[in-house]
Amino acid sequence: MKIKHQLAIFNALTRLLMILLLWLMLPVLVEKIVYKHINKSLIEKKQKFIEHLDKEEINDFIVRNDSAETYASFSTLHSEFLQLSRLPGKTTISKTIFITEPRIIEEEQSDYRILQYQFYYENTAYQLEIGSSLNEIHDLTFTIRLFILVVLVIILLVTFLMDTFYIEHLLKPFYKIIDTKIRRVNEPESFDHTPIVTHSADFQELDTVLNQMMNRISELFKKEKQFIANVSHELLTPVALLKNKFENLLQNNSLDEEAVDKIAAALRTLDMLKKVISNLLLISRIENNQYEANETIYFQSLIDDLAEDFEDRMEDKQLHFTATIKNDFHFTGNKTLLHILFYNLLANAIKYNQKEGEIIISDGFSDGHYFISVSDSGIGMNAMQLSNIFNRFTRINHDQEGQGLGLAIVQSIAQFHHITIKVISDTAKGTTFTLLFPVQL
Amino acid sequence: MNILVVEDNRELALEIINYLTDIGYICKIAGNCEDALEEINSNDYDIMLLDLGLPDGNGFDILKSVRKTQSKMAVIVITARGELDDRINGLQLGADDYLTKPFALTELGARLFAIIRRIHGFTANVLEMHGFSLQLQDYKVSYGTIPINLTKKEFDIFQYLVLNKNRVITRLQLTEHIWGDILEVNSDSNFIDVHVRNLRKKLDKHTSIDWFETVRNVGYRINSQ
Repeated sequence: MKIKHQLAIFNALTRLLMILLLWLMLPVLVEKIVYKHINKSLIEKKQKFIEHLDKEEINDFIVRNDSAETYASFSTLHSEFLQLSRLPGKTTISKTIFITEPRIIEEEQSDYRILQYQFYYENTAYQLEIGSSLNEIHDLTFTIRLFILVVLVIILLVTFLMDTFYIEHLLKPFYKIIDTKIRRVNEPESFDHTPIVTHSADFQELDTVLNQMMNRISELFKKEKQFIANVSHELLTPVALLKNKFENLLQNNSLDEEAVDKIAAALRTLDMLKKVISNLLLISRIENNQYEANETIYFQSLIDDLAEDFEDRMEDKQLHFTATIKNDFHFTGNKTLLHILFYNLLANAIKYNQKEGEIIISDGFSDGHYFISVSDSGIGMNAMQLSNIFNRFTRINHDQEGQGLGLAIVQSIAQFHHITIKVISDTAKGTTFTLLFPVQL
Repeated sequence: MNILVVEDNRELALEIINYLTDIGYICKIAGNCEDALEEINSNDYDIMLLDLGLPDGNGFDILKSVRKTQSKMAVIVITARGELDDRINGLQLGADDYLTKPFALTELGARLFAIIRRIHGFTANVLEMHGFSLQLQDYKVSYGTIPINLTKKEFDIFQYLVLNKNRVITRLQLTEHIWGDILEVNSDSNFIDVHVRNLRKKLDKHTSIDWFETVRNVGYRINSQ
């Protein structure tokens, strides 16, 4: 997952959490504020009531209300009520207290915020209750909550979008570094050294360090290239000299049979030396990126050419060879290298095959990737052998001739072209090499 | 035919001209860029063998200056590098052929023969050997007027041996000539024997071919005498 996505998700989650917390705390907060407000107004009312209180009024209240000891009055819509009652016996005078309770007024029950006040008037204890309905308040709280929720969601969306865009803007140089630089580290020659425009010091530093690193790598690549060229020249010139000397010497008519044999053997050794050097240089050159990959490869004709080259060897082992390239797949790569790759695979398929065995080359698509597979009915390999077939100087059987460089070269060429190789082998059935080609734009 | 061999390793150059003189060319050696340019300017050469790695510069610079003048001299580039950019450079600058070090002298001989045929507008189209004639244009061989049916490989082997007559040609040399400069240590040299055996059988039908000699354990030789 990319940083910008991670940051966006984190942003969204923290905001959601905040909203949830606010949403949960809101009723408590609103209640507190509203109660405070109501309490205040209830106290004011109590004060007014107490100020105008005298004996007659009390009696008036209580008498009018035929139930002997209590007087109650309420507003028409039952939003408020006032109740005065005589308390039996002696009670300790308590202070003003507030309670929230459901009350039934004219068979209608609702929640009230109630002020309770107990007092003595002419040695008689009275309790005054002033209540205020909470119905409206509940409605109001709900509206406030809804309103705040909508506001919060809008704020969330706006800040989320702003954050996301800002993060995107901030990280732009970073992604540019990744796209134009980091992904190109394997091609030092085509590396873009122009500094990335950014105001973030971190990215500037990253870019600078990356450029310095690439400069060093390019330098090493160039040196390696020069080294390879020198090695080729210095190693292959003496080989050429010896080879040509022996070839000329071979024409000398005064040589006896033994001398001729020895010269021929020396020439064979020289040939082997030449091939080892050339193969190692080939791998080095591929890894040093000295090959271009700009030719269109036609696999059918490439395989046809190889089949012709291998005609003798296949006839010798009486192998059944079938190559069916069904798809007209165009791959851009290096023709010489791909020729070598298939050459080596086929050479192995022949070398390790049984008499009258089979070699099948087929192609197709798997998960959107074009593939070509080379199967043989040869001696196969066990898991142990399979695990190091691509190592240099590995041979499946030590009595086999060859240098053990063939598959190392196959792997280098495949890596150069971003081709994935899969090998399935069974000592009873043979080996299948599958080349998965990259999707090229 | 005058050939200038531009090669800084003097011993190697001597081996090359030893062979070339043997097959009838007139040769001279230049060991560096300066000498090579001087030779080209003062003498007429038909062909130049050009090694790329020279002590005082790159062989391509010589090739460039040769191509600037209207010289019709053919150039065979010899490179130990085999680098791709070298090849591209060479093609663009107009080298006629390439050989990668180390090469067989007989292969050089075959390439020279091909270039000379080209220089002369493909007029030398027939090679004669003990009554057999090889028509190079259409890969056909006949004994007198009787056509002989050879495969492509048999024809190539016959032609290579005839071109390098009186020389021992090893199996390796033939293998490289037929299958190219492949980097695999291979067993194709055994198949050369099969093709040579078939070729000899086909030739033997028409006349005695004791001039077509098998050099035991080594290779083959066609003697012109």
